[in-house]
Amino acid sequence: MKKRRMYLRMITASLMRRRSRMLVALLSIAIGATVLSGLVTIYYDVPRQMGAEFRNYGANMIFTAADEEFTIEDAEKGAAQISSSQLVGMAPYRYENVRIRETPVVAAGTDMEGAKAASPYWSVDGEWPSAQGELLVGADIAENYNLKTGDTIEVTYTPEENETDEVTLDNFILFDVVGILDTGGSEEDYVYMYLSDLEELTGESGSIDVAELSVSASSDELSSYVDKINSSVPAVNARLVKRVTASETTVLTKLQALVLLVTIVVLALTMICVATTMTAVVAERRKEIGLRKAIGASDSSIIKEFMGESMLLGLLGGIIGAILGFIFAQEVSKNVFGSSIQFRPLLAPIAILVSIAVTGLSSLMPIRSATDVDPALVLKGE
Amino acid sequence: MFGRMIRGALFRQWKKMLMIAFTIALGASLATAMLSVMLDVEDKVNQELKTYGANITVVPKEASVLNDLYELEDGGSAEAYLREDELGKIKTIFWAFNIVDYAPFTSVKAKLADGSDVTVVGSWFNHHMELPTGEQLDAGITSLRSWWEIKSGSWLDEKSDADENSAMIGAAIADKLGISVGDTLEVSGIAGSRELKIVGIFDAGGDEDDQIYVQLDTAQALDGLDGCIDSIEVSALTTPDNELAVRAMKEGVGSLTVSQFETWYCTAYASSICYQIQEVITDSVASPVRQVADSEGAILKKTKLLMVLITILSLIGAALGICNLVTASVMERSSEIGLMKAIGAQNGAISGLVLTEIFITAIVGGVGGFFAGFGFAQIIGKTVFSSAINVRPMVIPIVAVLVVIVTLIGSIPAIRMLLSLRPAEVLHGR
Repeated sequence: MKKRRMYLRMITASLMRRRSRMLVALLSIAIGATVLSGLVTIYYDVPRQMGAEFRNYGANMIFTAADEEFTIEDAEKGAAQISSSQLVGMAPYRYENVRIRETPVVAAGTDMEGAKAASPYWSVDGEWPSAQGELLVGADIAENYNLKTGDTIEVTYTPEENETDEVTLDNFILFDVVGILDTGGSEEDYVYMYLSDLEELTGESGSIDVAELSVSASSDELSSYVDKINSSVPAVNARLVKRVTASETTVLTKLQALVLLVTIVVLALTMICVATTMTAVVAERRKEIGLRKAIGASDSSIIKEFMGESMLLGLLGGIIGAILGFIFAQEVSKNVFGSSIQFRPLLAPIAILVSIAVTGLSSLMPIRSATDVDPALVLKGE
Repeated sequence: MFGRMIRGALFRQWKKMLMIAFTIALGASLATAMLSVMLDVEDKVNQELKTYGANITVVPKEASVLNDLYELEDGGSAEAYLREDELGKIKTIFWAFNIVDYAPFTSVKAKLADGSDVTVVGSWFNHHMELPTGEQLDAGITSLRSWWEIKSGSWLDEKSDADENSAMIGAAIADKLGISVGDTLEVSGIAGSRELKIVGIFDAGGDEDDQIYVQLDTAQALDGLDGCIDSIEVSALTTPDNELAVRAMKEGVGSLTVSQFETWYCTAYASSICYQIQEVITDSVASPVRQVADSEGAILKKTKLLMVLITILSLIGAALGICNLVTASVMERSSEIGLMKAIGAQNGAISGLVLTEIFITAIVGGVGGFFAGFGFAQIIGKTVFSSAINVRPMVIPIVAVLVVIVTLIGSIPAIRMLLSLRPAEVLHGR
C-alpha cells in the first residue's frame, strides 16, 4: 500500500516538476487522440449523413399494385415495415386524364407533404399547395396554357360511361393555381392536386397507381425491406429504383473509403509524431536515469517508473483527445450536414487505450536504451 | 566560421537533426497529401456522380411542350425532331471538355408479329467519334445507363457487332414474350420491318424494361425518320449553382449585365452549358434534369466542406507536432548555448545560428515530405477513385509557407528561453 502511494507520488511529482515539458508532450498526445476519435467518428457517420444528402435524388423505392389495384392503406401498411427513422417520405400518386380548357391533361393526385419529402429536387415557383382546391402546375403545362400563380382554372373530368343510358355529366372543380413546378423531367407535363380533390373530381376513391418512397438505408437493408414488404403485404409490389440505389451505393462506398484512407494516413502520421516527441522527452532524461542507477535503482524499477509516467500522460492525453475529437466531429457534422452526430460510447475508451499504448510503446525503446548505459559515463556527461 | 559551426552542429548531432527533419517531413507530407486530395476531391466525386446518368436533356423546341402529352393521348409521334448531323457539335461548345458523355434517342412505336405494340428505341451504345479537335470519344448508353443490370447476353457492341439488326431487350418484355439471347424478333414500323437479333437482356428497374433498344439507324429506318432524333441526353461535369446561375435561369439571360453574362457563360453551370448546347443544335431546348443536377450540387458541396474540415484538423495536428518537436530539441541544447554565452557570444549570433540550423533541417525535411505526400495522395487516388490525383501547383507554396511558419513558431519560444539563460547556472547543471 505504502509502496504504491510512493510510486504514484514519484510519478506525479516528476510530471509536475517538469511541467512545461510535459505539457508539450501531453499536447501532442492529445492531438493524436483527437484525430483518432474525431476522424473515426466521422468515418462511421459519413454513410448515414451522406445517405441523407443522397435522398435529394428522390424516391429509391416504389410500390405498385401486385394485382389489379391497391389502396393507400396498403401502401401505408408497406411503409410501416420500414423503420420510421429511415423513412424520409412517402408520396402516393394516382393519375387520371382530365381536361383543362377542353384539352386533355394528366392530373396526379398526391399527398403534398409526402411529395415534398420524397422529391426534394422539385423546384416550385410560388407555393406548394397547402389546402384542397389548390393546384400545382407543371412548367410545360403552365407555359402551354399561359397559367400563372394566382390564376383560377377549371379542371373537368368525364366519368366513364356506365351501362345505363343516362347521360353522364362532366365533373368539374375550380382550382387556384398556387405554384409552378420545374423539374426538368416529365413531371412538368402534369398538374398536381391533393388526392382527395382528385377523388372528388372522379367520384371514385380508394385506389392509387403508385407510391414513391424515399428511404435512407444501405442497399442491403433496402433489398431486405423489399422482400419483407412483398411477403407481408400481398397487395403491394415493392421495387427498388435501380438507377438511384445502384449509383448511391457506388458513390457512398467511394466516399467512405476516402475518409477511411485519409483517417489512416493522418492517424499514422500523428502517431509517429507522438512517438518522436516521447522519444525526445525520455532521451533528455538520461542524466536522471544515470543518477538513479548510481544510487542503486534496478533497471526494472526505473522502467516501471518511467512507463508509469508516460502511460499517465497517455491517459490524460487520451481523455482530452477523446473529448476534443467528439467536439470536432460534432462541429464538422453541424457545419457540413447541419445535424448532430451520434456519440459512440465505445470510441472514447478505444481512443484512450490506443493513446496509452502508443505513448507507452514509444517511450519503452528510449528508456531501455537509457538504462543500458553505464551510470558513471552518463553522470560525467559523456 | 559560421558555416563551420553550422556544419559541425548538423553533423555532430545528426541523429537529433534527423529526427527534426523526419517530423517536419511527416508534417509536410501530411499537408501535401491532404491539400492535394482536398483540391481534387470535387472533380473526382463529380466523376463518380456521373453514374446517375445524364444531367441535361435536349429536346426539339416545338416538341418540348407537347411531346409527352401527344404520346399519352394517341401514341402518335411529335412532328419536331433534332438533326442527327449536328450531334458532333455538342463537343465543340465552350465547355466541350466538361461533356463526359451523351447519347441521342429516337423512339418509334412498332408492332410485333402478333400485332401488339412495342416501343423500339434507337440510340448509341458505344458510338466511336473522332472529333475535329483530334480527340476520340466513345459515347452512348453503355456508360450513360451504367445502372442497367445485364441479365443475360452482353451490351450491344457497335464496334464488333456490325450487324445493324442487333438489339437489346428489357427484362419485363422479354419475359412476356419468352425471348432469350440469340432469338430473333420481328418488329414492323410505318416504313419497314426488321428481324431483330437479341444480344442482351437488361433489367433497368424502370420503364425501359418494356422497351427494345437498337442502334440509331435501325430505329430510324423502321419509321422512315432518317437523320431525325427525339432527344439527346448529355452528361456534363458542372459547377454547383450559385446566385448568379439561379438568376440567369429565373429571369433569363437578358437580365445579366455584360460582365455578369461573361462570368456566367465561362463557368460550367448546368444552365450555361444548356445555353451553349442550344446555340449549336438548331431549334433545341436544353434543360438541366433537376433530379440529377441539384443533388450533384448538394453532394459536391458537402463532400468538399467535409474534406476542408478534415484537412484543417490534420494541418493543425501536423503543425503542433512539428512545433512540439522543434521546441523540445532546441531546449535540450541549453548547456551548449550556456557555454557559448559564457565565452561571449551575442544573443543575435546565437539565435541566428540556431535558426539557420533548424531551417536547413526544415528545408531537407520539407522537400522530402512533399514528395512523400505526393505519393500518399496518389495512393489515396488510386485506391479510392482508381485514377491519379492531380497535384495543383498552388500546393507547393502553401506547404512551403506552412513549414516555414510552423518551424519559426516552434523555435521562437525555445530561443527566447535559451537567451534568458544565465550561463553560470546552466553550466553548473541546474
